[in-house]
Amino acid sequence: MYSYVMRRLAFGVVTIVGVSIIVFMVLRILPGDPLVALFGPEGFTKLSEAERARYMAELGLSDPLVLQYFHWVGDIIRGDLGRSFFRAESVGDMIWRRGPLTAEIGILAVMISWVVGIPVAIVSALKPNSLGDNISRFFSILFLAVPGFWFGMLIVLALLFWFGYRAPLAGASLFTDPWNNLQLVIGPAIVLGLGQGAYIARMARSSLLEVIREDYVRTARAKGLSRRPVIRLHALPNAMLPVITLSGILMGFVLAGSIPVERAFGTPGLGYAMYNAVRERDVFVMQNLVFLFSVVFVMLNILIDLTIAWLDPRIRYR
Amino acid sequence: MTTFEPDTALPLQPPLVAAAAPSRWRRLGQTLRMFVRRSPVSAFWGCVAALIILMAIAAPLIAPYEPLKSDFRAMTKPPDGRHYFGTDQIGRDTLSRVIHGSRASLTVAIGAVLFGTTLGALWGLASGYFGGRFDIVSQRIIEFLQSFPDLILAMAIAMALGAGTGTVIVAIAITRIPFGGRVIRSVVMSLKELSYVEAARGLGASHLRIMARHILPQCIAPYLILATTHLGVAIIIEASLGFLGVGIPPPTPTWGNMLADSLNAGLVPPWWLVLFPGVAITITVLAFNLLGDGIRDILDPRLRGGAGGLAIVAAKERVAA
Repeated sequence: MYSYVMRRLAFGVVTIVGVSIIVFMVLRILPGDPLVALFGPEGFTKLSEAERARYMAELGLSDPLVLQYFHWVGDIIRGDLGRSFFRAESVGDMIWRRGPLTAEIGILAVMISWVVGIPVAIVSALKPNSLGDNISRFFSILFLAVPGFWFGMLIVLALLFWFGYRAPLAGASLFTDPWNNLQLVIGPAIVLGLGQGAYIARMARSSLLEVIREDYVRTARAKGLSRRPVIRLHALPNAMLPVITLSGILMGFVLAGSIPVERAFGTPGLGYAMYNAVRERDVFVMQNLVFLFSVVFVMLNILIDLTIAWLDPRIRYR
Repeated sequence: MTTFEPDTALPLQPPLVAAAAPSRWRRLGQTLRMFVRRSPVSAFWGCVAALIILMAIAAPLIAPYEPLKSDFRAMTKPPDGRHYFGTDQIGRDTLSRVIHGSRASLTVAIGAVLFGTTLGALWGLASGYFGGRFDIVSQRIIEFLQSFPDLILAMAIAMALGAGTGTVIVAIAITRIPFGGRVIRSVVMSLKELSYVEAARGLGASHLRIMARHILPQCIAPYLILATTHLGVAIIIEASLGFLGVGIPPPTPTWGNMLADSLNAGLVPPWWLVLFPGVAITITVLAFNLLGDGIRDILDPRLRGGAGGLAIVAAKERVAA
């Protein structure tokens, strides 16, 4: 187990370095001129040569690219995520202020997806092609096709239309103001949770159907165990492994999905910050936020892989 | 049948360009008939997909109004007999904009899949076939690309390149590369050990010839499954980019842009501006997803009745790897 953990962590570090290079390439090298990205094509033409040179020097953009890359990585390692070009607050502070909200949404969404997806899958898999199975499959197929942010807009609209209700606009901490915090978080969490739940339900259903056909399940039934404990003790734990892996892949769905969904709900979380950065063409904030989201995604998947290895000795001893 | 068994996620098919076909058209007809018989639901949604594509091609003929023309006498009007889907805040007809929006969505989705999935597939073909150091490096790069949530990578690229149809296609295409690479690679790895490939090599065929004549045809089935499933994902990403303001720039009607616009139409967004573009996205994605499921059932019977969806394919690969 120890060597597996070490190997997985080493791969994780390599991946994060690779990710940082791609982020840097996309956001620093691709645009050609970062000033164009910052000021927009029209704003850029209004700048004089001297102003351009001054901005470039100020932002450290006149250094060679390799040096810029190492500056950036060095800053991140020192914990300095820079500041927005348009806002007073530093990116680090912004992440501390807005991050918890998005983290809450993510955790709740994953919980909802399991709480909804797994029971639906069990009902479906135990009676394949029954009415319940067909209904649940219909909904899971539907939810794979519904864009989360649109579903969110519909919820916001329906609440406004029929109840005149709108979630509070300002951020609220879980600890000082739990009621407002819940109102902020619950909508995006439901939308993202159901979207993921559809995948989880489909995966868990097919995985369970496969496991139920295994010999050891038949043996368990043959030795006289009744249906329930067989499912609960023998089939379900083994069927869950692929679902856990899927859940890790779907973390990306939650992280990325939080951007348009938070925009749809107007939730003041990190996803909304990313939307602001895109709208204001704030390359530096974008660079750090993209990197942050990807690192979180990579680390969550390492965690998932280690969980799987812990649960499944076949992987550990390879 | 003791020597080999296809042991990867995707099974081996008899060559699609089989000999002794009476005529190409008759074969096509037969295939279609088989498709309808075996999965009527998918066939139905395939027709819906075809209708949507037709709608996109014939958009100027079908749309009752010009999608960009404002009518200042009918601003933010709910649906009625003149404007079936209502009008937006500057009096543009929503129905016409939804119809024209299909053009942007489909262009981007098809373009992204054609570029991205194909490039990924060819890359996977090469890296699976040659193996060795090239394969190891390729796998790392693909893993780096997969470490980004799709939408976030697409957003960053679209933002860096600036707005436009071409850049949105490129942005989404790049996020599609890893999937094509992984799936096709695993197919090729199992194919290249088979005796007919070895025979070709023994006869002195070049690598290029073996790849093009003997391995590529076997990759068509998994590629088709992959491509149809990716169309749906690409449409959702395109709509999200539009919604976030990094898609195709505004005057062009796209479903994502329309949804973003609706949020600017006052404190309470008018329901018809929110409802119709979203329904259009949902139906289109549903059509391509179910068509993809049907194609998979036919071409790849081992996955029949199993779980669909990209993330699930990816998860299965990870479990197998």
